[in-house]
Amino acid sequence: MYAKEMVKQSLPLIVFCGLGAIVAGSTLGVMTDLLREIPGLIVVIPAIIAMRGNISTAFGSRLGSAYHLGIIDADNLWNEELKQNIIGNLILSFFVAIIIGVLAYATSLLLHVYPNPIKLISIVLLAGVISAVILTLITIVIIYLVFKRGYDPDNITGPALATFGDIITMICIFGSAILVEAIL
Amino acid sequence: MIYSWKKIVKYGMPLLTVTILIEIFAGQILQGRQNSLLLFPVFLITIPVINSVGGNIGSVLGARLASGLHVGYISLSLEDKEMHDNLFISLLIGFITYFILSIVIYFVALFGNLTEDIALIEFIAIFVLTGVLLVSTVALVSVLTAFLSFKRGLDPDDMVAPVVTTVGDVMGIVFLFLMLGIFGVGI
Repeated sequence: MYAKEMVKQSLPLIVFCGLGAIVAGSTLGVMTDLLREIPGLIVVIPAIIAMRGNISTAFGSRLGSAYHLGIIDADNLWNEELKQNIIGNLILSFFVAIIIGVLAYATSLLLHVYPNPIKLISIVLLAGVISAVILTLITIVIIYLVFKRGYDPDNITGPALATFGDIITMICIFGSAILVEAIL
Repeated sequence: MIYSWKKIVKYGMPLLTVTILIEIFAGQILQGRQNSLLLFPVFLITIPVINSVGGNIGSVLGARLASGLHVGYISLSLEDKEMHDNLFISLLIGFITYFILSIVIYFVALFGNLTEDIALIEFIAIFVLTGVLLVSTVALVSVLTAFLSFKRGLDPDDMVAPVVTTVGDVMGIVFLFLMLGIFGVGI
């Protein structure tokens, strides 16, 4: 039974990732007061989550290829290749976060919503950079465990990073919004 | 050394910029309907879930099609039986997943006092219908992206996941509000 086998193999992982997304969604569900107080905040949420997912899954799959090419493994993890990847991730996150903040502000103005640009861009930048640091560390831990056990990183990093990424990014947005709202 | 941070930034930027433009569009739809979302926070919980499941199913389908095209057991034809089977199974997995998750979300929301006055049956109907519409769309986009990129000599493995997740994020939000409109919730 070909169809049965396919359902059996992919259904559990997809449901598991969905449960992870419920955790991310619940974080959004308790942010109602912040969403009300900070116009424009809801606009940046899909973009930050997409940026994080995009950057970290690409990172994971590059590390997977590096493993298959033999330039990185559990005993030789912290090398120049990995450092270049980490710097690249952080710089990308920094610039893309600024672009997200500016775009969200500009498009809101066109639609006659008037966010505070300093607040909005600070929230995106903080959330973008903090989630980048946390997810980079998590990726390195996952990849180390995968290497140690001899699994193929290509099968594991994608779904694992997508699920952790959504939750951590949502919590970072929540935290940054509270912090910025308290300081500014 | 094969990686340099400059190359990672340079090659990452174009795709990310396009993705972000589309996601900001999705975000503006959310902002436009923010009042009904704040009235029914249970639907705030559903947004990441709808998008995650749609994106995952589309990406898995795309990866399977890519392998089939590379190895040769799937042909570049819209009549291909193997492709039809994969498409059908994706829809089936989508239906089952959305059904299971709708019940979990409803009880999470009930526990957090976020359900207001929406009945379980109505919530399941809205969530599952949104999901089925989204998975159908995402599956078609996945097949088209895989086939078109393969035809042009590009690797479908690189193309399908970003295209499918971005299209899925926007369409998931559009379909959710469509269903909320049809069911008359939050207007």
